[in-house]
Amino acid sequence: MQQTQSFASRWATMRREKMIHGLAQAKRNKVCYLFLAPYAILFFTFFILPIATSIIYSFTYYNILEPPRFIGLQNYINLILQDEVFLTAIKNTFVIAVITGPVGYILSFLFAWFINELPKWLRAVAVVIFYAPSIAGAAFTVFSIIFRGDAYGWFNSILMEFGIIEAPRLWLTDPNYMMTILIIVILWMSMGTGFLSFVAGFQGIDRSMYESGYVDGVRNRWQELYHITLPSMKPMLLFGAVMSITSAFNVCDVPRALCGYPSTDYAARTVVTHLFDYGFSRFEMGYASAIATLLFLVMILCKKAISALLGRVGT
Amino acid sequence: MSENSNRIRSTGTLQTIDGKKYRGYLEADEEGATFYSRKTAQPLADWRYNRMHRVDNIRRGGTSTQMTVILKDDNRYIIELDHGLKLHTYIMDHWADKPVIPRTRGEELHRLAELRGEKIQVPKKHLITRRHPNRSIAGDIGIYLLLALVGVMMIFPLVFLVGSSLKPLDELFRFPPPVWPQHPTMDNFSDLFVTMGQSWVPFSRYLVNTVFITLVGTFGHLVIASMAAFVLAKYDFPGGKAFFAVVTTCLMFSGYVTGIPNYLIMSNLGMIDTYWALILPAFAAPIGLFLMKQFMEGLPTALIEAATIDGAGMFRIFWSIVMPNVKPAWLTMIIFSVQSLWNTSAATVIYSEAKKTLVYALQQIQAGGIARTGQVAAANVIIVAVPILIFVFSQSRILETMASSGIKD
Repeated sequence: MQQTQSFASRWATMRREKMIHGLAQAKRNKVCYLFLAPYAILFFTFFILPIATSIIYSFTYYNILEPPRFIGLQNYINLILQDEVFLTAIKNTFVIAVITGPVGYILSFLFAWFINELPKWLRAVAVVIFYAPSIAGAAFTVFSIIFRGDAYGWFNSILMEFGIIEAPRLWLTDPNYMMTILIIVILWMSMGTGFLSFVAGFQGIDRSMYESGYVDGVRNRWQELYHITLPSMKPMLLFGAVMSITSAFNVCDVPRALCGYPSTDYAARTVVTHLFDYGFSRFEMGYASAIATLLFLVMILCKKAISALLGRVGT
Repeated sequence: MSENSNRIRSTGTLQTIDGKKYRGYLEADEEGATFYSRKTAQPLADWRYNRMHRVDNIRRGGTSTQMTVILKDDNRYIIELDHGLKLHTYIMDHWADKPVIPRTRGEELHRLAELRGEKIQVPKKHLITRRHPNRSIAGDIGIYLLLALVGVMMIFPLVFLVGSSLKPLDELFRFPPPVWPQHPTMDNFSDLFVTMGQSWVPFSRYLVNTVFITLVGTFGHLVIASMAAFVLAKYDFPGGKAFFAVVTTCLMFSGYVTGIPNYLIMSNLGMIDTYWALILPAFAAPIGLFLMKQFMEGLPTALIEAATIDGAGMFRIFWSIVMPNVKPAWLTMIIFSVQSLWNTSAATVIYSEAKKTLVYALQQIQAGGIARTGQVAAANVIIVAVPILIFVFSQSRILETMASSGIKD
């Protein structure tokens, strides 16, 4: 008993000392908080507060006109058990995320690596070519011309020219093709910020490490990649992963612009378009918030899983 | 070292092979260089140029230069100098027996064997010259072919877009559709400004709105996020690290997911249907703060310490010492901010037609159906060109910033 008490009291003193120390440090660094304040206030208002309100509203029924009414887990229960469109949305988002997330990530890395082997002037050109689609924003709408459903669509006309198909296909409105086309377009745009970070990461690696690797018996570019390059690029790999998760789960613009909103049979609906539908068309804010909250959770879990995985790379 | 010779010096950090770091200064003359510790003024490392094997991995950021010096006995030092460029050039000038850069695999093998003190039986001349060891010719050819193929696939839609915007009406509906027009015309662009100029809200109005939002949003973001990044990177204060961790997590949440509560917050603040609804959130974009903070961590702390000792206030340090030294990071912040603001459609927070943005206009023209295909492409080219051009002209600076973008877990 004596022992535990002394532990408790010691712990309390430690806490107190730590707090006093912290306060003293905070006082000394007053100006730091002044510098941080403008950003912190805006960040809190437009990023933290929305996330917090999302979580709170997800337990209520709220249609903007009436004050929110607490309904417990009802939104989540409806989402999972009754909303069939949501299940389609989950399925689609899952398919898109599983394919475009890892594939886009690996492709970004591989192409960054290949580009790094090019001579300098060619490298600059290649980076622009690969990065342009993702920075170009609305450029993907050109796919609505390329994959247009009539014979004037470029893809249809090529296939008809070669006799592969007889009549034009409705690439963007037929539920059988929509997801494939979406995945192609999203992959086209996937060489984004992560890709740029990889390109820069490759250039920043100490060249003498390759040399000593060569002396130690590294004999081809794949061994070099695994034993030397990957371990020194871990931070960039994690950053790239965060960026990939973001773009894989937040697919919204592409299906809305290409496949219509809503799309035929909801075949191109994703979680975020579903959220958009409930939030901004039907004004069921509580329900939409529940969707958002689920999405936050999944993304955070994904990031945790990936950083655990990356911890083992190259060891 | 004789006192009267041309000595040149710079303060900096020395990092030895076992990772220990020392503050001090590097002095060089015609024969060699010496690094002195700041506290004891004792030489920590010195070498004659004839003992030097290579100077490698030279990186410049702001005024500071980092380089790795490799000696013939395989000792190596990483040296980071506050005003190192001059010193580096000086060493390179006086270093007589610089190794000839190996041109063939054979020569490279011989050089490495010599380093280990062995003799090897490999002919020095090989037919193919190459940049690196460990590279097979077949692999190189494969990579070039693959890059060329995928590169064409990546660029094709953009070329098609530009082609479509230049097509006259009859070529837009020709079978099979040409990728590039036979008789290019600017009609689609003039249609955008002339024909639509007579509509209720002229096209140029959307353009002006977008330019305004992009300029103000980007400028504010640059200043506000840099201030925050500066204290987060260079000062240790309670809460700083936790705050940065939260920002890093928020990198993942797109504007759509937070869109609904954001709408409610903005309507409470009375900002719906004003430009502020787009501009203020852009000020606090997490990606800009993240990249800026990571880049500022690479700035030598000595710069700030020296200025503090000279009695400069924190704002002076930030504005006239730190900011000029992180210009590459500015460009990176600018491009990310421009990219997101320029491509914003803002349909949910802005209702008045006269305040809407380019992307929104594009969606409206697109809704006009197939007959508007040419104008859609033209509007799209205008939207797409701006971020791509900014990137083309600032690529090297942006890559310099991205080199420090990693998340250290």
